[in-house]
Parts: sequence; structure tokens; C-alpha cells
Amino acid sequence: MSAYRTGDPLDRRRFLTAAALRGATVVGSGVIGATALGALDADAAFAAPLRSLDPAVADATFVEGRITGIDGGLLAVAGSWGTYARVRVTAATSVWKVRATTADAIATGDGLYARGVPMPDGTLAADAVWVNIVHLHTTVRGIEKTRLHLAHGSHEIVGHVLADTTSVSYSGAAPTADLSRLRIGQDAQVLGAWRPSDDSVELVRVSVGPGAGHHR
Amino acid sequence: MSPAVTVAVDLAAPLLALVLGTAGAGKFFGRGGPRSASRTALARLLGGGDRAARALRGLGALELLLCAALLALPPSVVTGGAATALGAGFLGYLGYARRAAPGASCGCTAGDDGPVGGRAVIRAAAVLAGGVAVALARHPWWIVVPSHPAAASGAVLAALAGAVALAPDRWRLPWRRLRLRLTGHPLDGTRAATRVPVAATVELLERSLAWQSAAPLVRSALLDHWDDDGWRILQYSGVHGGGGGARPVVVLFALDAAASRDGVREPAVRVSVLDADTGEAVALTA
Repeated sequence: MSAYRTGDPLDRRRFLTAAALRGATVVGSGVIGATALGALDADAAFAAPLRSLDPAVADATFVEGRITGIDGGLLAVAGSWGTYARVRVTAATSVWKVRATTADAIATGDGLYARGVPMPDGTLAADAVWVNIVHLHTTVRGIEKTRLHLAHGSHEIVGHVLADTTSVSYSGAAPTADLSRLRIGQDAQVLGAWRPSDDSVELVRVSVGPGAGHHR
Repeated sequence: MSPAVTVAVDLAAPLLALVLGTAGAGKFFGRGGPRSASRTALARLLGGGDRAARALRGLGALELLLCAALLALPPSVVTGGAATALGAGFLGYLGYARRAAPGASCGCTAGDDGPVGGRAVIRAAAVLAGGVAVALARHPWWIVVPSHPAAASGAVLAALAGAVALAPDRWRLPWRRLRLRLTGHPLDGTRAATRVPVAATVELLERSLAWQSAAPLVRSALLDHWDDDGWRILQYSGVHGGGGGARPVVVLFALDAAASRDGVREPAVRVSVLDADTGEAVALTA
């Protein structure tokens, strides 16, 4: 188990790959929403926390707000409604900021959604945090090579296209890296990461056409 | 004044009439009513959407009247002064709107829902400059146009280009669509993309039987992912067992990196669970 223990991430991934491929193969489609805690990709940040089916698992709790301070793995979060919370991030916490990343990517001033379990000391032991995540209903007003111009109500938003990340779901189909079927004037449901520095959005997934945003 | 400038100044009246005519017609005949008027900063200034709607309609009538005067009467200090005053009023109102109700629509042109931006300010300044030009003009446009056809068509083209550049966003859409049709889709380069986004793999996983059986262990969202030799590995963290025997685990799924739910109905997923502390395999069922 030395490779698992070493700090080198490449060695660690190699070890985990071998372990993953040794795993049992399960073939078949499942019931959508089978998890006790709801969908676990970025959409889950906006799903209502479901009650766990397992009585041994404490109910998941959500925290939301702006990060006002970072002390090691402890985040101070000022909620939008005047609440205050401390969120603990560990190696077992998933961190989403545009993509799956590590706690190093979190910065003071970022917005945060966190799901976790309340601890006796008042902190929230986070299972998952989503940083600067936004989910917006928009209309495509302009298309350029590196960005989309989007209208959200009366606000104009610049959406940055990320070459290795941005995907589009057309009419409820599986997300694809093919962005060439986007059209000006389309309604678009946008999942992305807000960029506090210039108030723009980095586009992660754009859903257009009938069934956009309702394919779950 | 040089002859070219004189001609340009003399042509200001019909161009300004065009601007005021379109804006005025939009406000006067627009069907937005009190609801869209209540989104303007004018509603804040006058205290109510109904009053703002009436004021917008009145302003539209004034603009149409001025448009008719600019077209029918020879240029004079009176029409020029009226347009200058209107432009100055617009500028003052925009300055107020930006300070008092940032984010509110300006109501400048009917149906324009966008907040007060640079284009609205430039439009108001253009009206002001046009009014000054009309006040300075010496000849009616219907005499100048036949004697300077080249200058007149040049002025019309310049005015059209200016109108497109300064038009509210909503009016620019047909123009942008046309441009994309002529120059090609800017994102055409991604048409041939064969990479399956991670989001598509996660979606396939969440609809699989493997996910259904392993999900009760999983606590985190997607923790890490990477591709290796045609496989895409998705890593989650979780808790195995309950009560005193609970221990942190790593939950790994391996899927075909090229598969998404569009092509695969029964996904084959390899699942393994490791003890997070030792890295030893743990049976999936507790």
C-alpha cells in the first residue's frame, strides 16, 4: 500500500486506477435519483437536501454564503440572510470550482454552497462544497469564439467558453463538447462559476432546446 | 465652415428626424404599457408605472412632433434648440437614472429592457449634437440633397452604420444573426469534438445500476477524475458501515471514457470501495 500512501498524486492515481479496474463490473441502468443525498454532480448544489434513508446517517445540512476568511481547512462563511457559519474542509470533501478541484482553489470573497454534517463544536463537516456556482436562466444574445453574451432578466452577462470544460446539452440529450449548434436568441439554462473579479461567468454546462434544465 | 462641414450640418435635420421618429414611434405606439414602464428609472422619478407610461407616451408624441418639424420646416434655431434641449434632458435623466436606480431600464427606446449603458448615453449625446447642428444649418435638406447626391448618400450610410452600432441590444440580434450566417459560426471548430465531457460521464454513472448499488456509501460529490487507457475513473469519498464500525472509504467507478447516455443504454461500470486509511479493498455490501 506504499503507493497509496505516497504524496505523489500521479502514483496515487495509478494505484487508484488499478484498484478501480479490479472492481466488480455492474451492468445495467438504475433508478434515477437512487442516492440517499440526491444527485451528486454540480446540479446537487441546487437540489433540496433529501433525508437519508439510513437512520445512522445524520441529515445533511446546507450552508450558503460568502467566504470571509480561511484558516487552514476551516472556512468562515457569512450567509446571505445574516447568518454565520464555519465550514470544515478535509481531504474527503469534494471541492467544485468550475471543475473538481482541491481546497487550495478556494479564495476569500468566493461564494459557497456546502453540504455536510453538523458537528458538536458548531462547525459543519463538509462532504461537498461548490464554489461560486450559479444556475441561471438566460437568452443567448451573442456568440464569439471565446465567450457568449447572455441576457439574464435585464442584466447582460458575459459567459466565458472554456475549451476543456464547457459542454452543451441540446434538447435534453447527453452533454457534448460540440458548441456549434448554439444559436442567437435561444433560451439557455446555464450552470457555471461566477467570477467575482469581473462579475462574469465561466460556462460549465449550457442546456438549450425543449427540456433544457428539466432532463433530470 | 468648409463646404463639406456645411453640407454635413445641413443634412443633420433629416438624420436627426429619423432617430427621433423611430424612438418616438416606439414610445408612442409601443404596447409595453405600465408594466414595462414600471421597470424604467422614470417610474422611480415620477412615482409609479402608470405615470411613467403616460410620460413616455407624451415624450413619444413630442419626439414625433419634432421629427415632423425637422422634416417639414427649414432648419432654424427654434427646431435646433428644441432638439438640443431634448438631448440635454435625456443626458440629465440618464445621469439621474444611473445614480438613483442602477440596473433599471432607461425607457429610451421602446422595448429596450437593458439597464442604462454607454450606448444610451452616446445616443442622447448624438441627439444633442444633432440639435446644435440643426441650429447652425443654413439650407433646408430638400435643397442640399439634390445638389450633393454623393455627400447625401454618404451621410445616409454613415447614419445607418451609426444606428446599428448604437441600436439597443434587442435590435442588434437580427444583425448579429446575419453576421454569423455570413462569417460562419464562431464555435464551428468544436463541431468535430469527440471528447466526451466529464458531465456526460457523471450523468451516465448516475443512471447506472452500479451507482444505485454504491450510492448509499457515497457522501461527497465528484472528488477527482482522470482518464487512463480508454477508461475514465471517477473518485468519490464515503462512509462504510454504521455506528461504531463506520469507516471512511474511497469509492471508485471506472467507465468507458468515450461513452455517454446517448449511445449506451446499459452502462457497464466497474465499482470498487477502498478503506480511505489503508487503501485495502472493502466489500461493497456492508
